Amino acid sequence: MPGLNFDNYQRNQYLASKGFSQAKATSTGTTIVGCKFQNGVVIAADTRATAGDIVADKNCEKLHRLAPRIWCAGAGTAADTEMVTQLIASNLELHSLYENRKPRVITAMTLLKQHLFKYQGHLGAYLIVAGTDPTGAHLTSVQAHGSTDVGEYLSLGSGSLAAMAVLETNWKPDMTREEAMQLCSDAILLGIWNDLGSGSNVDLCVMEIGKDANLYRNYMTPNVRIAKERSYKFARGTTAVLQTSVRDLLDVEETVIPFGQKDSDAMEIEA
Amino acid sequence: MEHNPFKWGRPDDAVYGAYNHQIAEAGVNSLFPKMNTQNPIITGTSVIGIKYKDGVILAADNMGSYGSLMRFSNVERLLTIGENTVVGVSGDISDAQQLARYLDSLELQENVYDNDGENQLKAVNVHEYLTKLLYHRRSQMNPLWNALIVGGFDEAGEPFMKSVDLLGVSFSSSTLATGFGAHLAVPLLRQVIPEDKKYVDVTEEQARKVIEDCMRVLFYRDARSMDKYSMVTIKKGQELKFEKDLVVKDQNWRFAQNIRGYGNAQQ
Amino acid sequence: MSRTTVASEYSAEIQSTPIEHRFNPYSDNGGTVLGIAGKDFAVLAGDTRHVTGYNINSRYEPRVFDVGDNIVMTANGFAADGKALIDRFKNQIKWYKFNNGGKKLEMQSAARYIQQLLYGKRFFPYYVSTLIAGLDEEGRGAVYSYDPVGSYEREQCRAGGAAASLIMPFLDNQVNFKNQFIPGTDGKEKRPFEYLSLQEVIELVKDAFNSAAERHIHVGDGLEILIVTKDGVRTEYSPLKRD
Repeated sequence: MPGLNFDNYQRNQYLASKGFSQAKATSTGTTIVGCKFQNGVVIAADTRATAGDIVADKNCEKLHRLAPRIWCAGAGTAADTEMVTQLIASNLELHSLYENRKPRVITAMTLLKQHLFKYQGHLGAYLIVAGTDPTGAHLTSVQAHGSTDVGEYLSLGSGSLAAMAVLETNWKPDMTREEAMQLCSDAILLGIWNDLGSGSNVDLCVMEIGKDANLYRNYMTPNVRIAKERSYKFARGTTAVLQTSVRDLLDVEETVIPFGQKDSDAMEIEA
Repeated sequence: MEHNPFKWGRPDDAVYGAYNHQIAEAGVNSLFPKMNTQNPIITGTSVIGIKYKDGVILAADNMGSYGSLMRFSNVERLLTIGENTVVGVSGDISDAQQLARYLDSLELQENVYDNDGENQLKAVNVHEYLTKLLYHRRSQMNPLWNALIVGGFDEAGEPFMKSVDLLGVSFSSSTLATGFGAHLAVPLLRQVIPEDKKYVDVTEEQARKVIEDCMRVLFYRDARSMDKYSMVTIKKGQELKFEKDLVVKDQNWRFAQNIRGYGNAQQ
Repeated sequence: MSRTTVASEYSAEIQSTPIEHRFNPYSDNGGTVLGIAGKDFAVLAGDTRHVTGYNINSRYEPRVFDVGDNIVMTANGFAADGKALIDRFKNQIKWYKFNNGGKKLEMQSAARYIQQLLYGKRFFPYYVSTLIAGLDEEGRGAVYSYDPVGSYEREQCRAGGAAASLIMPFLDNQVNFKNQFIPGTDGKEKRPFEYLSLQEVIELVKDAFNSAAERHIHVGDGLEILIVTKDGVRTEYSPLKRD
């Protein structure tokens, strides 16, 4: 049977009871947002991944491609958002090939919610799914337990409240592409500055009806590290050499000996 | 049917036995251990505040929640002490009323023993007093379940704003908010004052506008909030301006007109 | 009365997860501090970010203080305890002067007194890592560091707080030259200890904090360095990343 394997569940519970803590998954603390505009939809994300209080990745990618014109921003457990997104991207492609139709946002969302519902929230994936398809531009969100939501503007993740504050004050109907990009990047920036789970750069993806999706990787980089005050180059020999072992390089030669044929025949295939 | 209305909604003596009145005297003359506040009952949500070049603005709505019930809609959570100090209180309302009592007697003492017309009680002093009080109570494991923001002026007469919570943890900033406001309002306030010291560039109009924006966002997104609130403007060289029964302006629910369902069908 | 439960593996999970019923008198307010002693100076640095959970409470809340008598002090961890401890110590310095004709409190006496303050709450501890810096009776830089219940030690350098585990190994290597050998001696001779200049120390502190701010979410916003020399206490501020 496909799906997750629970064979080690009891063992893990036993180990936990003996004081061996469970492996800590990398979480994408995260601020992600999405916003519709006149002729399409924009999604954006920060690029910080955390493991507890430590920054695990300063420039990770939280914008995933489900189909050429359907993209999704992921918050929650990094591995879950990554894998669930890849799986649904594959299924979406197969479905689109079978039906001979362009994939739709509602299809992507339905596949995601059915998959996530099946796992009862144990897959920690919180996604904003957006894109354009033959029915227009769409913006939806999917929660780990499988519930979905549609909206003109959405935000998810630990920085969702900071982002929502700016969305609620500055959103207006029928924005232009530029206005929507501005609003989304502002919302992410508020997450970056005010939420400790979010940080580093802004990634952004614009999906306009009838056009190819545009991914702006590192659309903004407001957190470039300043130069170090000192040089930390060590003089050669600072580290003690405890042991030396020198091996000669081996030359491996390979000769192909034609078997059961005259050597001239082998080359005639090309001719 | 119980015919004595006094007994309605109370545990039935036939089932639970007679009420043991020692419970009510717990810790005084009884064998029962004394129990301190374990959680708040009637609560008030966020208080928000901002400094600007001539003073401080504080705001808090008028709701008193009983869990998810909107139990009271006329609670005043901004307390004035002396001429130009205001304390905004969130958290347990009964503890807030106890605090108001402490602050009243503090003010009274000041006026009786130190009525030379100079050295009025300043916001810094009120904050220090509250910090000591709340830290003392948390150290007795009997906290006053509140988060406060104190606004006014410091010893030098410059705008002052500092907060303290039920643990006695205190911090100051040009932009402050308790509860949900810490998540929703502070990011908006910091857009106006990115650098702490730059509050001197902010006018009263700017400060007032951002406070109104914050109260609107909080009403949209905090399920324990309401759209009726009070706002205090503490301004250098002026009498304190206390505005009551303000209503969240420019509410807009038009986004809803295009939304159908939750993505369940092609609606 | 017995409770019927549907047997499932998850019921064990629910029961093994503790639910907090009591009031928790502690919290963690983040931040990191760092003290380095030089030949005739000492520095105590701390970032100015004050946090609870994923929130920044303040971008500028000083955590290193000049407590008088050419001593600087910090108590990093649970901010309310830190404030209480420092307030108590400041107060005691005041009383020491009243009682001893304005006499200066020496570093080692201050250090021992702080132990008493911390151990006095042995069974309801101040949840802080405490550092003091100043000059000893010979005028040499001194840094003392404490655990929450008062065990203390004089050291050349010490990092405390959220990113202590990130900064301390860097300090071991760059201040005490740990794991460094004299080139050409083939690992026979360790690089000997020598004092760094004030300029070098400040550069090291800035690099340590910039790096900690890169990788620890509770560190950032601003860096305040208090420098103690025979001429008194001086403060330097420089910004850190705010994300």
